Amino acid sequence: MSFTTKDVVLKEDRPKSLLLQKHSDYLASYGLNKDDYEYCMTEYLRMSGIYWSLTAMELMDQSSRMPKEEIIEFIKSCQDSESGGISASINHDPHMLYTLSAVQVLAMYDRLDAIDVEGVVRFVASMQQEDGSFYGDKWGEVDTRFSFCAVMCLSLLHRMEDINVNKAVDFVLSCMNFDGGFGSKPGSESHAGLIYCCVGTLSICKRMDALHADELAWWLCERQLPSGGLNGRPEKLPDLCYSWWVMSSLSMLNRIHWVDKKSLEQFILACQDAETGGFSDRPGDITDPFHTLFGLAGLSLLGNTSIKAVNPTYCMPQETIDKLKLEPQILHI
Amino acid sequence: MHGRVKVRTSEEEKARKDKEKQEKLKVFKNAMQRIQEKRKNSELDKELLELSGKVLSSNPDIYTLWNIRREILNIFRKDIEGEEMSQMYDAELHLTEYCLKVNPKSYCAWHQREWVLTTRADPDWNKELSLCNLYLKLDERNFHTWDYRRFIVSQCKPPLKGEFDFTTEKLYDNFSNYSAWHYRSKMLVELYPDLQGGRPIEDSHHKHELKMVQNAAFTDPDDTSAWFYQRWVLGAVKTTISLVVYTVTPFKTTFAFSKDVNEEFVMSKTRLYVNNEIVTGEWKSCVGNQYDLLWIFDHTTPIKDDLDVKVEFEKEDKCTQIIPCTKYGNSTYIGKNEVSFQRQYSQAVVEELNNQLESCRQLLEMEPDSKWTLLTTTIVLYCIDAKKYHKEVIKNLHLLKVIDKLRAGYYDDLITKWSIEEQLCLDFKTNECRLFKVAFDERISCLPHLQYYSYCEEIDLSNQNLSSKILPSLVVLQHCRKLSLENNNLTTLGNFPSLDLRELNLKGNVNLAKNEIEMLKEKYNYKIIY
Ligand SMILES: [Zn+2]
Repeated sequence: MSFTTKDVVLKEDRPKSLLLQKHSDYLASYGLNKDDYEYCMTEYLRMSGIYWSLTAMELMDQSSRMPKEEIIEFIKSCQDSESGGISASINHDPHMLYTLSAVQVLAMYDRLDAIDVEGVVRFVASMQQEDGSFYGDKWGEVDTRFSFCAVMCLSLLHRMEDINVNKAVDFVLSCMNFDGGFGSKPGSESHAGLIYCCVGTLSICKRMDALHADELAWWLCERQLPSGGLNGRPEKLPDLCYSWWVMSSLSMLNRIHWVDKKSLEQFILACQDAETGGFSDRPGDITDPFHTLFGLAGLSLLGNTSIKAVNPTYCMPQETIDKLKLEPQILHI
Repeated sequence: MHGRVKVRTSEEEKARKDKEKQEKLKVFKNAMQRIQEKRKNSELDKELLELSGKVLSSNPDIYTLWNIRREILNIFRKDIEGEEMSQMYDAELHLTEYCLKVNPKSYCAWHQREWVLTTRADPDWNKELSLCNLYLKLDERNFHTWDYRRFIVSQCKPPLKGEFDFTTEKLYDNFSNYSAWHYRSKMLVELYPDLQGGRPIEDSHHKHELKMVQNAAFTDPDDTSAWFYQRWVLGAVKTTISLVVYTVTPFKTTFAFSKDVNEEFVMSKTRLYVNNEIVTGEWKSCVGNQYDLLWIFDHTTPIKDDLDVKVEFEKEDKCTQIIPCTKYGNSTYIGKNEVSFQRQYSQAVVEELNNQLESCRQLLEMEPDSKWTLLTTTIVLYCIDAKKYHKEVIKNLHLLKVIDKLRAGYYDDLITKWSIEEQLCLDFKTNECRLFKVAFDERISCLPHLQYYSYCEEIDLSNQNLSSKILPSLVVLQHCRKLSLENNNLTTLGNFPSLDLRELNLKGNVNLAKNEIEMLKEKYNYKIIY
């Protein structure tokens, strides 16, 4: 059973410096052509798309290039007056994922007054179940992602008292695994993306003490492959978005120094497309706003000073989090 | 968004593709418009089912379309019964199967399947289990399939032993199947807990797992899956929470615990006696959180010389432990508990660990640079007898820093942690003064177990590798008056906690800006040396 590590090899002609201007141009033009095929086919996640682009632009201090008033109007039109929840786009149904994205965007714009906040709180609170878990919408899908959406959303609105926080924490903890990691529901395998959601939930609820920090952080730092990139589970290929899921979790655990920052930075930079701008999941793939945000946010965590500081729990500019006077917990070491 | 390789195409080819896409887009937009119109007009009928099915077949993640289908089926099932409705559910399952071929990771499609099976009256769970088996043959790591399997098992409740055996079978197919190791860990603690001893796994099974996982790890030492499982099995020991030290002075009374505990725990388990009278007061977390390692006890009993001070602590086995104290100088009473970081295994497991150590050493002789073998050898040594093997353990960790450079920071912190544990046991037994000073050659990079030293008046952390990220941890030094951080790597003091110091030494932190020190000076009125 001979076997080689799954990884990529970085080419010599890869981008080695940060192409900020290119990325800002890429995001500014993304969605300008409303008939673009990719753009239309991703309508079902538009609200998150706006969050990815705006946050990336904010981190580059270029958010003035985004159509602010148009975005705020769009968000208003996506709130469902009955449930209070917000949908991905017009004519789509309200969902936790897009309710959070909308609240994050409005928080960055300091325009939370634009929507019916009571409605949002009502929607989020109505999704909590007896066991502390959260549905994504009224159709009953349970996932730790939705727990994170709930506490992030309500903490941004300073309305945590509207849910049962202890129960929410207990549910997340019931998803902990032998390796210290977390999956999407009780019994599910550990996965760096869901670890971020669960650690983030505990960080907001100030219950990081309940983690097995050393075990979890060891598992996380073992995600780093010889290329410098990080994967999301053992024996998987590296992917740029895990630079965020893993590094943000390690930041909350105060153990970011357990990975090799230099080689990770090289990997992230290699995921840039020097022609089109933007970042992709792996060097040589097609770029998208999702990976563009997580590439920039990852570099910010690594201490790149040409990008604004990002908050590891909220994946929003630290200045926004400071302004809202939020203090998500970071473990002592 | 994932795995789409950028390919270079000729202008001609690109134009052709663009045209194709525009065609597709037109069809898509028309269909979506039609669907939304019908929904607005409450035409929840078979036509809408068909329209939405067509769009989903190539775009399974458009969640709203699945919602529409559920709305339709919910209406249908009010009027239609028996075979006809059953066929509609079958068709729905068929559609999800088709969608999962397009995208095996579509959350929506998987959830629709669960919805159908829990909504219909006649679910065929065995068929679903077979489907899982098939899907896991195609991709043994798809966590959606594994989650779906757990969902089915939770519904039809087959004997768990069967699921445990399924993981064995999967693992003998391929030891590199982390998903199967994961599932196995869940089954193991469920099926074979150690009810009498309070350990996570019953003895004979603990031993059996150790054997099996070592066999797996040795089959291919470069594959990581088995090593993670092994590390867990090695760590599967009973852990308890203890009161490690209490400090009573005229100014402040504190209690430090081995793990974070909440107010209810502290209140119900801990009792402070002065001259045989229970002291009443209020508990405050040192950091201000719900759970904390150090608790401050606010009370009004005057603390003077010549008092009889003791603490009662109720242990996990409900036995009450009396922790006496030693008097230090001016009305200060400190009670240290016995501390040990040694893992407690049964004799049978210790024997097995020694066998494994032997095999590890043999393997290491053949491949001295094998990271996983060296790491496991080191952990097994630590588990068997941390004190006896301390030197070898530290030597190995230094070697690992060289072999596995990417994780040098991890090994540094582990060296610190295990060295501190060594010193702590000694300090708690023999050290009679209220000073903590690193007494080993390694330079420490973090501050594990610092609450154990909460009783100290003087903390000397000079000449170490400490960076600014450790500063918030210093908050447990509630009785410290003299703190030295001389010759470290501090870069900022922004997160320096509020402490009742007389003297703080910050000399030799070359990257620390002067204005940071000035700001600290303004905030606190203790002496700062720099
Ligand atoms: Zn990705």
